[in-house]
Amino acid sequence: MRTIEYLSIPELAEMYFQAALAGLAVVTLCGVLSVFVVVKRLGFVGQGVSHAALGGVGVAAIVAAFGLIPGDGTSAAGLWQWAIVTAFCVLSAVGIAAAGDRRALPFDTAIGMFLVGSMALGAILVQIGRETATSRGQSGMTQSWESILFGSIMGTGLGDVALAWGACIGVLLVLWGVRRPLLFWGFDSATSRAFGVPASGVKYALMVLLAVAVVTAMRLTGVILATALLVLPGATALRLTGRLWPSIGFSVGSGVLALLAGLVLSIETDWQAGPSVVVVQCVLFVAACVAGWLKGRMVTGKGPIIRA
Amino acid sequence: MSEPAVNFENVSFTYPGAEFPALEHVSLRVEQGERLGVLGPNGGGKSTLLKLALGLLSLQSGRVTLFGLAPQEARRRGMIGYVPQRAELELAMPLSVWQVVEVAATWRRAPWSRAADARERVREALLLAGADELKEKAVGELSGGQLQRVLIARALVVRPRMLVLDEPMVGIDAVGQERFAQLLDRIHRERGITMLTVTHDVRAIVAGSDRVACLARRLHSHTSPEGLTPRVLAEVFSHDIAGVGGALRGTHIHAHGPEEHCPDVHETGAGGPAPGACGHVCGHDHGPHEASTKRDDHPASGGGA
Repeated sequence: MRTIEYLSIPELAEMYFQAALAGLAVVTLCGVLSVFVVVKRLGFVGQGVSHAALGGVGVAAIVAAFGLIPGDGTSAAGLWQWAIVTAFCVLSAVGIAAAGDRRALPFDTAIGMFLVGSMALGAILVQIGRETATSRGQSGMTQSWESILFGSIMGTGLGDVALAWGACIGVLLVLWGVRRPLLFWGFDSATSRAFGVPASGVKYALMVLLAVAVVTAMRLTGVILATALLVLPGATALRLTGRLWPSIGFSVGSGVLALLAGLVLSIETDWQAGPSVVVVQCVLFVAACVAGWLKGRMVTGKGPIIRA
Repeated sequence: MSEPAVNFENVSFTYPGAEFPALEHVSLRVEQGERLGVLGPNGGGKSTLLKLALGLLSLQSGRVTLFGLAPQEARRRGMIGYVPQRAELELAMPLSVWQVVEVAATWRRAPWSRAADARERVREALLLAGADELKEKAVGELSGGQLQRVLIARALVVRPRMLVLDEPMVGIDAVGQERFAQLLDRIHRERGITMLTVTHDVRAIVAGSDRVACLARRLHSHTSPEGLTPRVLAEVFSHDIAGVGGALRGTHIHAHGPEEHCPDVHETGAGGPAPGACGHVCGHDHGPHEASTKRDDHPASGGGA
């Protein structure tokens, strides 16, 4: 097996374990949120916010071109870029929610507009940033488009690991703090206000947490596949159970399994790590569908018993 | 003299951009312990009235009080238990019945308050609503009637002084409706809770109200459930809500006499409901002497109990 040979080389083993450590934080974070994303049909929001990140990358490129932040490949540069992209994504998520709230636009139209607008803005700003950096003799942003689009988890450093776990713990603490109003709103958003639940506040909080999760997940799977980590684990879990804590457990568990199996698959096949993780997650979803169907047959003699 | 449970004084409300008001000069008083049913056609302002009573819409003119307080304040003090329509529930949410009721009891619980108190309230509400045996079930597995009992338990867990019920019988079959009416009777008898029911379904009104207010943008009449004669029903349900050329023009009202069977197709058993007890407002375009052959709007169709 190539994986065993791979891991016997200390430098490669260190790279693999750092990738796995960062990935564990991301799949834990996304696994917990995923249940809410699936139930509240927010999958397309994840897609919109992850693509809005390209706008943030563009802003970071401009700021780097003027030498205001480091633009080389150091940890400090990565941290600055992460902060700018996160801020951009959070603003986009809040903007999408506000547009949907005020009914100025249909919700999916608002997402689509933020998605394409940010991508276009990002592409233009990155181009301007590179030209400006060249003319000013600055290094500018050196990150490749491919790593932005598809992630670069195998290049994860210890700083990235710390950042991913920091984001994970922060989001989980906030989620724990708002769990009761979130569950009320999640089950019955239309009525929650009548019980005094600050429904708008809960919705915006969830959108901000989603934005942080998307930005963190992007480092693993890139922009294109970040949504997969927010949709597939929850969808997989809800095929198997209709209970809260088991569904969160299954969701995180399937994410962890997909991550580890995906990294092994990546080493064995020399495929990119991000897409490999997502492919395994898709296989797990299909398996859960079959298991859910069989469970439903055994319990009721019909199809699946869960309505998700 | 005690404050009325609900007091609407000359309330009018127009949605932004709407040509006609949703409510026009509505004055309504519900005494404490009373069960009032508000009956009216779709688009007649029932939901607007309910949202104003719950403080979910800002008042434009007139005055609304609940137990002498502003609706928002009454809501904040947990005086109102709201039982919504079931259409907008996320049944895929992986929650048990116990968790649905518990969350309503605890969402703003102070960290220092006793969890045992909340558990006791949940247990009491489930027992009162007849949903105790369902507590371990996932909400996605419940039938229409069971889910309605859970929503009643969720409303009761805040120990309200008034229950507000929005279309409580929709989606429940005939047997379930009977059981549900008995449940509301029992809650009213045991707790003396004021009940405000808003519906277009005459059977829900007959089953659970002491008094009926007929609403179609304006209040048309106050009567007892027995006073809902074919003439009264026809007047309320044929009211031209949207003004000239309104939505109900050309529709036929089943204002049949007490000895006649409703001509529409019923699913509630052989021969349909008792003569004169239908209350079905038919939206199909057919003449007054023809029977509708469609059954999609009929309130008797729906899930099990």
